[in-house]
Amino acid sequence: MNQAHPAVIDNLPEFLLHAITLERESVDRYEELAESMAVHNNPGMAELFHKLAHFGRLHASEIEQHAAALVLPDIAPWNFKWSTPEGPESGTRDGVHYLMDQREALEHALYNETQGRDFYASVASSSPDEEVRELAAQFSREESEHVAILESWLTRLDPQNTRRLEDLDPPNSPD
Amino acid sequence: MSGNPVASPVTAKQFKSEIKPVWCPGCGDFSVLSAVTKALAYLALPQQNVALVSGIGCSSRLPAYVSVYGFHGVHGRALAVASGLKAARPDLTVLVAGGDGDGFSIGGNHFLHACRRNMNLTYIVMDNEVYGMTKGQASPTTSPDWAKSMLTPHGPGVPSFNPAAIALASGATFIARGFTGKPNDLAKLIVDAIQHPGFSFIQALSPCTTYRPEQNEWKKIVRPFDADVTADPIEAAQRIQADDGLSTGLIYQTRLPVWQPPNSISAEIEQLERGFQI
Repeated sequence: MNQAHPAVIDNLPEFLLHAITLERESVDRYEELAESMAVHNNPGMAELFHKLAHFGRLHASEIEQHAAALVLPDIAPWNFKWSTPEGPESGTRDGVHYLMDQREALEHALYNETQGRDFYASVASSSPDEEVRELAAQFSREESEHVAILESWLTRLDPQNTRRLEDLDPPNSPD
Repeated sequence: MSGNPVASPVTAKQFKSEIKPVWCPGCGDFSVLSAVTKALAYLALPQQNVALVSGIGCSSRLPAYVSVYGFHGVHGRALAVASGLKAARPDLTVLVAGGDGDGFSIGGNHFLHACRRNMNLTYIVMDNEVYGMTKGQASPTTSPDWAKSMLTPHGPGVPSFNPAAIALASGATFIARGFTGKPNDLAKLIVDAIQHPGFSFIQALSPCTTYRPEQNEWKKIVRPFDADVTADPIEAAQRIQADDGLSTGLIYQTRLPVWQPPNSISAEIEQLERGFQI
Protein backbone atom coordinates (compact mmCIF):
# COMPACT_ATOMS: atom_id res chain seq x y z
CA MET A 1 0.00 0.00 0.00
CA ASN A 2 1.07 3.56 -0.48
CA GLN A 3 2.60 5.39 2.35
CA ALA A 4 4.26 8.70 2.95
CA HIS A 5 7.57 6.98 3.67
CA PRO A 6 8.18 3.81 1.67
CA ALA A 7 8.70 0.68 3.68
CA VAL A 8 12.19 -0.72 3.75
CA ILE A 9 13.16 -3.20 1.02
CA ASP A 10 15.03 -6.00 2.70
CA ASN A 11 16.63 -8.19 0.07
CA LEU A 12 17.79 -8.34 -3.53
CA PRO A 13 14.94 -10.38 -5.06
CA GLU A 14 12.38 -8.04 -3.50
CA PHE A 15 14.29 -5.02 -4.77
CA LEU A 16 14.68 -6.35 -8.30
CA LEU A 17 11.00 -7.21 -8.47
CA HIS A 18 10.23 -3.61 -7.56
CA ALA A 19 12.69 -2.31 -10.14
CA ILE A 20 11.40 -4.53 -12.94
CA THR A 21 7.78 -3.72 -12.13
CA LEU A 22 8.60 -0.02 -12.01
CA GLU A 23 10.13 -0.14 -15.49
CA ARG A 24 7.51 -2.41 -17.05
CA GLU A 25 4.59 -0.41 -15.73
CA SER A 26 6.26 2.73 -17.01
CA VAL A 27 6.65 1.17 -20.47
CA ASP A 28 3.02 0.06 -20.46
CA ARG A 29 1.89 3.54 -19.47
CA TYR A 30 3.92 5.22 -22.23
CA GLU A 31 2.52 2.77 -24.77
CA GLU A 32 -0.98 3.47 -23.47
CA LEU A 33 -0.38 7.21 -23.85
CA ALA A 34 1.09 6.76 -27.32
CA GLU A 35 -1.89 4.75 -28.51
CA SER A 36 -4.25 7.21 -26.91
CA MET A 37 -2.55 10.15 -28.63
CA ALA A 38 -2.72 8.33 -31.95
CA VAL A 39 -6.43 7.71 -31.49
CA HIS A 40 -6.93 11.41 -30.74
CA ASN A 41 -4.96 12.58 -33.75
CA ASN A 42 -1.88 13.85 -32.00
CA PRO A 43 0.71 11.85 -33.95
CA GLY A 44 3.69 13.89 -32.74
CA MET A 45 3.05 13.00 -29.13
CA ALA A 46 2.21 9.41 -30.09
CA GLU A 47 5.68 9.12 -31.59
CA LEU A 48 7.33 10.73 -28.58
CA PHE A 49 5.59 8.41 -26.11
CA HIS A 50 6.47 5.36 -28.23
CA LYS A 51 10.09 6.55 -28.09
CA LEU A 52 9.96 6.91 -24.31
CA ALA A 53 8.48 3.41 -24.08
CA HIS A 54 11.38 2.12 -26.16
CA PHE A 55 13.93 3.66 -23.79
CA GLY A 56 12.03 2.18 -20.86
CA ARG A 57 12.14 -1.26 -22.44
CA LEU A 58 15.89 -1.03 -22.83
CA HIS A 59 16.29 -0.10 -19.18
CA ALA A 60 13.88 -2.86 -18.10
CA SER A 61 15.87 -5.50 -19.97
CA GLU A 62 19.10 -4.33 -18.32
CA ILE A 63 17.51 -4.69 -14.90
CA GLU A 64 16.05 -8.07 -15.80
CA GLN A 65 19.55 -9.35 -16.44
CA HIS A 66 20.37 -8.74 -12.77
CA ALA A 67 17.44 -11.00 -11.87
CA ALA A 68 18.18 -13.75 -14.34
CA ALA A 69 19.51 -16.21 -11.78
CA LEU A 70 17.11 -15.29 -8.99
CA VAL A 71 13.68 -16.46 -7.96
CA LEU A 72 11.63 -13.34 -7.43
CA PRO A 73 8.90 -13.19 -4.82
CA ASP A 74 5.19 -12.88 -5.51
CA ILE A 75 3.87 -9.52 -4.40
CA ALA A 76 0.30 -8.40 -5.00
CA PRO A 77 0.04 -5.07 -6.86
CA TRP A 78 -1.28 -3.30 -3.75
CA ASN A 79 1.55 -4.60 -1.56
CA PHE A 80 4.43 -3.00 -3.43
CA LYS A 81 6.39 -0.58 -1.31
CA TRP A 82 5.82 2.50 -3.43
CA SER A 83 5.34 5.94 -1.97
CA THR A 84 3.31 6.75 -5.08
CA PRO A 85 -0.13 5.37 -6.08
CA GLU A 86 1.51 3.13 -8.70
CA GLY A 87 5.09 2.52 -9.77
CA PRO A 88 7.08 5.77 -9.41
CA GLU A 89 7.62 6.13 -13.17
CA SER A 90 4.00 5.53 -14.16
CA GLY A 91 3.09 9.17 -13.60
CA THR A 92 -0.43 10.32 -13.04
CA ARG A 93 -3.10 10.09 -15.68
CA ASP A 94 -4.53 13.50 -14.89
CA GLY A 95 -1.39 15.20 -16.17
CA VAL A 96 -2.11 14.38 -19.79
CA HIS A 97 -4.37 15.89 -22.39
CA TYR A 98 -5.12 14.95 -25.97
CA LEU A 99 -3.85 18.31 -27.20
CA MET A 100 -0.65 18.24 -25.16
CA ASP A 101 2.52 19.51 -26.79
CA GLN A 102 6.12 18.37 -26.70
CA ARG A 103 7.00 20.46 -23.68
CA GLU A 104 4.12 19.05 -21.65
CA ALA A 105 4.99 15.51 -22.69
CA LEU A 106 8.65 15.93 -21.78
CA GLU A 107 7.74 17.54 -18.47
CA HIS A 108 5.53 14.51 -17.82
CA ALA A 109 8.46 12.21 -18.57
CA LEU A 110 10.79 14.33 -16.43
CA TYR A 111 8.39 14.02 -13.51
CA ASN A 112 8.39 10.25 -13.93
CA GLU A 113 12.16 9.96 -14.11
CA THR A 114 12.54 12.20 -11.07
CA GLN A 115 10.15 10.00 -9.13
CA GLY A 116 12.13 6.91 -10.20
CA ARG A 117 15.42 8.50 -9.19
CA ASP A 118 14.01 9.42 -5.79
CA PHE A 119 12.61 5.93 -5.26
CA TYR A 120 15.98 4.31 -5.90
CA ALA A 121 17.76 6.91 -3.77
CA SER A 122 15.37 6.17 -0.93
CA VAL A 123 16.07 2.43 -1.18
CA ALA A 124 19.80 3.12 -1.36
CA SER A 125 19.64 4.97 1.92
CA SER A 126 17.27 2.70 3.81
CA SER A 127 17.81 -0.95 2.89
CA PRO A 128 19.64 -3.09 5.46
CA ASP A 129 21.13 -5.15 2.60
CA GLU A 130 24.42 -3.84 1.26
CA GLU A 131 23.99 -5.35 -2.20
CA VAL A 132 20.56 -3.72 -2.49
CA ARG A 133 21.93 -0.38 -1.37
CA GLU A 134 24.71 -0.50 -3.98
CA LEU A 135 22.44 -1.53 -6.82
CA ALA A 136 19.79 1.00 -5.85
CA ALA A 137 22.43 3.73 -5.80
CA GLN A 138 23.54 2.64 -9.28
CA PHE A 139 19.95 2.72 -10.58
CA SER A 140 19.44 6.11 -8.98
CA ARG A 141 22.50 7.43 -10.82
CA GLU A 142 21.14 6.05 -14.08
CA GLU A 143 17.80 7.73 -13.45
CA SER A 144 19.67 10.96 -12.70
CA GLU A 145 21.24 10.69 -16.15
CA HIS A 146 17.77 10.29 -17.66
CA VAL A 147 16.63 13.36 -15.73
CA ALA A 148 19.58 15.34 -17.09
CA ILE A 149 18.87 14.22 -20.66
CA LEU A 150 15.23 15.24 -20.42
CA GLU A 151 16.15 18.58 -18.88
CA SER A 152 18.54 19.25 -21.75
CA TRP A 153 15.88 18.29 -24.30
CA LEU A 154 13.51 20.71 -22.62
CA THR A 155 15.98 23.57 -22.85
CA ARG A 156 16.59 22.87 -26.55
CA LEU A 157 12.95 22.71 -27.55
CA ASP A 158 11.95 24.61 -30.64
CA PRO A 159 9.19 27.03 -29.59
CA GLN A 160 7.37 26.04 -32.79
CA ASN A 161 6.92 22.57 -31.30
CA THR A 162 5.63 23.75 -27.98
CA ARG A 163 2.30 25.14 -29.01
CA ARG A 164 -0.72 23.13 -28.08
CA LEU A 165 -2.61 21.75 -31.02
CA GLU A 166 -5.77 23.54 -31.95
CA ASP A 167 -9.05 21.67 -31.93
CA LEU A 168 -11.58 23.48 -34.07
CA ASP A 169 -14.36 21.29 -32.73
CA PRO A 170 -13.53 20.95 -29.06
CA PRO A 171 -15.57 18.50 -27.05
CA ASN A 172 -16.76 21.11 -24.57
CA SER A 173 -18.58 23.32 -27.05
CA PRO A 174 -21.57 21.29 -28.24
CA ASP A 175 -24.63 20.74 -26.16
CA MET B 1 -0.52 -13.22 -10.58
CA SER B 2 1.70 -12.82 -9.25
CA GLY B 3 3.34 -9.78 -8.79
CA ASN B 4 6.29 -11.52 -10.23
CA PRO B 5 6.66 -10.21 -13.77
CA VAL B 6 9.53 -12.54 -14.59
CA ALA B 7 8.28 -15.94 -13.57
CA SER B 8 4.54 -15.39 -13.32
CA PRO B 9 2.39 -17.52 -15.58
CA VAL B 10 -0.37 -14.90 -15.60
CA THR B 11 0.10 -11.17 -16.04
CA ALA B 12 -2.28 -8.25 -16.16
CA LYS B 13 -1.17 -7.58 -19.72
CA GLN B 14 -2.53 -10.96 -20.80
CA PHE B 15 -5.97 -9.76 -19.78
CA LYS B 16 -5.75 -6.70 -22.03
CA SER B 17 -7.15 -7.13 -25.51
CA GLU B 18 -5.56 -5.87 -28.71
CA ILE B 19 -8.22 -3.19 -29.08
CA LYS B 20 -6.95 0.26 -28.22
CA PRO B 21 -9.12 2.34 -25.89
CA VAL B 22 -10.71 5.44 -27.37
CA TRP B 23 -11.10 7.11 -23.99
CA CYS B 24 -9.71 10.63 -23.72
CA PRO B 25 -6.10 10.69 -22.51
CA GLY B 26 -6.29 11.30 -18.77
CA CYS B 27 -9.65 9.53 -18.35
CA GLY B 28 -10.01 7.68 -15.06
CA ASP B 29 -11.45 4.68 -16.87
CA PHE B 30 -7.93 3.69 -17.97
CA SER B 31 -7.19 3.03 -14.32
CA VAL B 32 -10.25 0.83 -13.98
CA LEU B 33 -9.02 -1.19 -16.95
CA SER B 34 -5.66 -1.49 -15.22
CA ALA B 35 -7.25 -2.45 -11.90
CA VAL B 36 -9.56 -5.05 -13.46
CA THR B 37 -6.75 -6.73 -15.37
CA LYS B 38 -4.48 -6.72 -12.31
CA ALA B 39 -7.26 -8.26 -10.22
CA LEU B 40 -7.98 -10.98 -12.79
CA ALA B 41 -4.29 -11.76 -13.09
CA TYR B 42 -3.86 -11.88 -9.32
CA LEU B 43 -6.74 -14.35 -9.06
CA ALA B 44 -5.31 -16.26 -12.05
CA LEU B 45 -8.79 -16.81 -13.40
CA PRO B 46 -8.93 -18.70 -16.68
CA GLN B 47 -9.95 -16.17 -19.33
CA GLN B 48 -12.63 -18.46 -20.71
CA ASN B 49 -14.29 -18.59 -17.29
CA VAL B 50 -14.81 -14.86 -16.96
CA ALA B 51 -17.47 -12.67 -18.57
CA LEU B 52 -17.64 -8.90 -18.50
CA VAL B 53 -21.00 -7.33 -19.27
CA SER B 54 -21.65 -3.61 -19.76
CA GLY B 55 -24.30 -1.14 -20.81
CA ILE B 56 -23.75 2.04 -22.80
CA GLY B 57 -21.42 4.95 -22.23
CA CYS B 58 -17.70 5.70 -22.22
CA SER B 59 -17.03 3.31 -19.33
CA SER B 60 -19.19 0.61 -20.89
CA ARG B 61 -16.55 0.17 -23.57
CA LEU B 62 -14.56 -1.78 -20.99
CA PRO B 63 -15.43 -5.30 -22.26
CA ALA B 64 -13.76 -4.54 -25.59
CA TYR B 65 -10.48 -3.86 -23.86
CA VAL B 66 -10.39 -6.90 -21.57
CA SER B 67 -9.49 -10.28 -22.94
CA VAL B 68 -12.35 -12.29 -21.45
CA TYR B 69 -15.83 -12.99 -22.79
CA GLY B 70 -17.60 -9.67 -23.18
CA PHE B 71 -21.08 -8.37 -23.84
CA HIS B 72 -21.60 -4.69 -24.66
CA GLY B 73 -25.32 -4.50 -24.13
CA VAL B 74 -28.06 -1.92 -24.24
CA HIS B 75 -28.32 1.18 -22.10
CA GLY B 76 -28.96 0.45 -18.44
CA ARG B 77 -29.49 -3.27 -18.92
CA ALA B 78 -26.06 -4.60 -18.05
CA LEU B 79 -27.23 -6.05 -14.74
CA ALA B 80 -30.22 -7.71 -16.38
CA VAL B 81 -28.03 -9.37 -19.00
CA ALA B 82 -25.44 -10.34 -16.39
CA SER B 83 -28.11 -11.82 -14.11
CA GLY B 84 -29.39 -13.94 -16.96
CA LEU B 85 -25.90 -15.09 -17.79
CA LYS B 86 -25.12 -15.97 -14.18
CA ALA B 87 -28.44 -17.82 -13.87
CA ALA B 88 -27.56 -19.94 -16.88
CA ARG B 89 -23.83 -20.29 -16.21
CA PRO B 90 -23.19 -20.14 -12.45
CA ASP B 91 -19.70 -21.49 -13.07
CA LEU B 92 -18.60 -18.22 -14.70
CA THR B 93 -17.13 -15.26 -12.85
CA VAL B 94 -19.41 -12.48 -14.04
CA LEU B 95 -18.29 -8.87 -13.83
CA VAL B 96 -20.56 -5.98 -14.74
CA ALA B 97 -19.34 -2.50 -15.62
CA GLY B 98 -20.80 0.83 -16.57
CA GLY B 99 -21.17 4.45 -15.66
CA ASP B 100 -23.28 6.46 -13.27
CA GLY B 101 -25.86 7.39 -15.89
CA ASP B 102 -26.16 3.87 -17.22
CA GLY B 103 -26.30 2.29 -13.77
CA PHE B 104 -28.27 4.73 -11.66
CA SER B 105 -30.60 6.41 -14.13
CA ILE B 106 -31.45 4.26 -17.13
CA GLY B 107 -30.55 1.12 -15.19
CA GLY B 108 -31.60 2.34 -11.75
CA ASN B 109 -34.36 -0.19 -11.34
CA HIS B 110 -32.07 -3.07 -12.22
CA PHE B 111 -29.54 -1.77 -9.71
CA LEU B 112 -32.05 -1.86 -6.84
CA HIS B 113 -33.13 -5.40 -7.57
CA ALA B 114 -29.66 -6.71 -8.28
CA CYS B 115 -28.67 -5.49 -4.82
CA ARG B 116 -31.53 -7.29 -3.08
CA ARG B 117 -31.40 -10.40 -5.26
CA ASN B 118 -27.80 -11.03 -4.18
CA MET B 119 -26.65 -13.05 -7.16
CA ASN B 120 -22.94 -13.70 -7.28
CA LEU B 121 -22.01 -10.74 -9.50
CA THR B 122 -19.47 -7.95 -9.20
CA TYR B 123 -20.72 -4.56 -10.37
CA ILE B 124 -18.19 -1.78 -10.97
CA VAL B 125 -19.64 1.65 -11.64
CA MET B 126 -17.22 4.22 -13.00
CA ASP B 127 -18.69 7.35 -11.50
CA ASN B 128 -17.67 10.65 -13.08
CA GLU B 129 -20.90 12.47 -12.27
CA VAL B 130 -21.60 13.23 -15.91
CA TYR B 131 -22.79 11.75 -19.20
CA GLY B 132 -19.51 11.93 -21.08
CA MET B 133 -20.30 10.08 -24.29
CA THR B 134 -23.18 12.43 -25.09
CA LYS B 135 -20.96 15.45 -24.39
CA GLY B 136 -21.46 16.41 -20.80
CA GLN B 137 -24.96 16.37 -19.35
CA ALA B 138 -25.84 16.03 -15.67
CA SER B 139 -26.21 12.49 -14.41
CA PRO B 140 -27.89 11.15 -11.26
CA THR B 141 -24.72 11.67 -9.22
CA THR B 142 -24.11 15.24 -10.44
CA SER B 143 -24.33 17.80 -7.67
CA PRO B 144 -27.39 20.05 -7.82
CA ASP B 145 -25.38 23.20 -8.49
CA TRP B 146 -23.17 21.96 -11.36
CA ALA B 147 -24.01 24.53 -14.01
CA LYS B 148 -21.56 23.72 -16.80
CA SER B 149 -24.05 22.03 -19.10
CA MET B 150 -26.25 24.11 -21.34
CA LEU B 151 -29.04 21.63 -20.71
CA THR B 152 -29.01 22.56 -17.02
CA PRO B 153 -27.55 26.08 -17.01
CA HIS B 154 -28.51 26.62 -13.37
CA GLY B 155 -27.51 23.12 -12.31
CA PRO B 156 -29.75 20.05 -12.17
CA GLY B 157 -31.28 21.46 -8.99
CA VAL B 158 -32.11 18.09 -7.48
CA PRO B 159 -30.18 16.19 -4.84
CA SER B 160 -27.61 13.81 -6.21
CA PHE B 161 -28.03 10.07 -5.94
CA ASN B 162 -25.98 8.44 -3.17
CA PRO B 163 -25.00 5.07 -4.68
CA ALA B 164 -23.63 3.50 -1.50
CA ALA B 165 -26.70 4.51 0.51
CA ILE B 166 -29.07 3.18 -2.14
CA ALA B 167 -27.09 -0.07 -2.39
CA LEU B 168 -27.27 -0.53 1.38
CA ALA B 169 -30.97 0.25 1.53
CA SER B 170 -31.58 -2.19 -1.32
CA GLY B 171 -29.84 -5.06 0.43
CA ALA B 172 -26.40 -5.22 -1.17
CA THR B 173 -24.02 -7.41 0.79
CA PHE B 174 -20.73 -5.84 -0.35
CA ILE B 175 -20.38 -2.09 -0.80
CA ALA B 176 -17.10 -0.37 -1.56
CA ARG B 177 -15.83 2.86 -3.01
CA GLY B 178 -12.54 3.14 -4.87
CA PHE B 179 -10.68 5.88 -6.69
CA THR B 180 -8.99 5.63 -10.05
CA GLY B 181 -6.14 7.78 -8.77
CA LYS B 182 -5.17 4.71 -6.72
CA PRO B 183 -5.56 1.85 -9.18
CA ASN B 184 -3.70 -0.69 -7.09
CA ASP B 185 -6.02 -0.12 -4.14
CA LEU B 186 -8.93 -0.39 -6.59
CA ALA B 187 -7.53 -3.71 -7.83
CA LYS B 188 -7.56 -4.99 -4.24
CA LEU B 189 -11.22 -3.97 -3.86
CA ILE B 190 -12.06 -5.78 -7.10
CA VAL B 191 -10.32 -8.94 -5.87
CA ASP B 192 -12.26 -8.77 -2.60
CA ALA B 193 -15.48 -8.15 -4.53
CA ILE B 194 -14.97 -11.12 -6.85
CA GLN B 195 -14.23 -13.35 -3.86
CA HIS B 196 -17.32 -12.16 -2.01
CA PRO B 197 -20.17 -14.65 -2.26
CA GLY B 198 -23.12 -12.57 -3.47
CA PHE B 199 -23.65 -9.21 -5.13
CA SER B 200 -20.67 -6.92 -4.74
CA PHE B 201 -20.87 -3.26 -5.66
CA ILE B 202 -17.91 -0.94 -6.21
CA GLN B 203 -18.38 2.74 -6.91
CA ALA B 204 -15.15 3.77 -8.63
CA LEU B 205 -14.65 7.53 -8.56
CA SER B 206 -13.33 8.10 -12.08
CA PRO B 207 -12.61 11.69 -13.14
CA CYS B 208 -13.84 12.87 -16.53
CA THR B 209 -10.93 14.93 -17.72
CA THR B 210 -12.92 16.46 -20.58
CA TYR B 211 -16.26 17.51 -19.12
CA ARG B 212 -15.39 17.59 -15.42
CA PRO B 213 -11.72 18.68 -15.36
CA GLU B 214 -12.24 19.99 -11.85
CA GLN B 215 -12.42 16.34 -10.76
CA ASN B 216 -8.66 16.18 -11.26
CA GLU B 217 -8.59 17.82 -7.83
CA TRP B 218 -10.12 14.68 -6.30
CA LYS B 219 -6.65 13.28 -5.83
CA LYS B 220 -6.03 15.94 -3.21
CA ILE B 221 -9.15 15.24 -1.18
CA VAL B 222 -9.99 11.57 -1.65
CA ARG B 223 -8.89 9.60 1.43
CA PRO B 224 -9.55 6.23 3.02
CA PHE B 225 -12.48 5.79 5.39
CA ASP B 226 -11.18 6.20 8.90
CA ALA B 227 -12.90 3.00 10.06
CA ASP B 228 -12.70 -0.63 9.02
CA VAL B 229 -15.43 -2.44 7.13
CA THR B 230 -18.56 -3.14 9.13
CA ALA B 231 -21.20 -5.84 8.91
CA ASP B 232 -23.66 -3.67 10.80
CA PRO B 233 -26.03 -1.95 8.37
CA ILE B 234 -26.90 0.80 10.84
CA GLU B 235 -23.26 1.66 11.35
CA ALA B 236 -22.70 1.51 7.60
CA ALA B 237 -25.65 3.81 6.97
CA GLN B 238 -24.35 6.34 9.45
CA ARG B 239 -20.89 6.19 7.93
CA ILE B 240 -22.18 6.66 4.40
CA GLN B 241 -24.49 9.51 5.32
CA ALA B 242 -21.83 11.31 7.33
CA ASP B 243 -19.38 11.14 4.44
CA ASP B 244 -19.01 13.59 1.56
CA GLY B 245 -18.76 10.78 -0.98
CA LEU B 246 -15.00 10.99 -1.31
CA SER B 247 -13.90 8.46 1.31
CA THR B 248 -12.75 5.17 -0.10
CA GLY B 249 -12.48 1.56 0.99
CA LEU B 250 -14.69 -1.40 1.76
CA ILE B 251 -17.63 0.10 3.64
CA TYR B 252 -19.99 -2.77 4.32
CA GLN B 253 -19.85 -6.53 3.94
CA THR B 254 -22.17 -9.21 5.22
CA ARG B 255 -23.18 -12.74 4.32
CA LEU B 256 -26.68 -13.51 3.11
CA PRO B 257 -27.96 -16.39 1.01
CA VAL B 258 -26.87 -16.06 -2.60
CA TRP B 259 -29.72 -16.27 -5.07
CA GLN B 260 -29.07 -18.74 -7.83
CA PRO B 261 -31.93 -20.41 -9.68
CA PRO B 262 -31.67 -24.12 -10.39
CA ASN B 263 -30.30 -24.45 -13.88
CA SER B 264 -31.30 -27.99 -14.62
CA ILE B 265 -32.62 -28.44 -18.13
CA SER B 266 -36.40 -28.16 -18.04
CA ALA B 267 -37.01 -28.51 -21.76
CA GLU B 268 -35.18 -29.50 -24.89
CA ILE B 269 -34.36 -26.83 -27.46
CA GLU B 270 -36.86 -28.35 -29.89
CA GLN B 271 -39.62 -28.05 -27.32
CA LEU B 272 -38.77 -24.41 -26.69
CA GLU B 273 -38.69 -23.66 -30.42
CA ARG B 274 -42.13 -25.18 -30.84
CA GLY B 275 -43.43 -22.70 -28.27
CA PHE B 276 -42.35 -19.82 -30.50
CA GLN B 277 -43.78 -21.16 -33.73
CA ILE B 278 -46.48 -19.00 -35.26
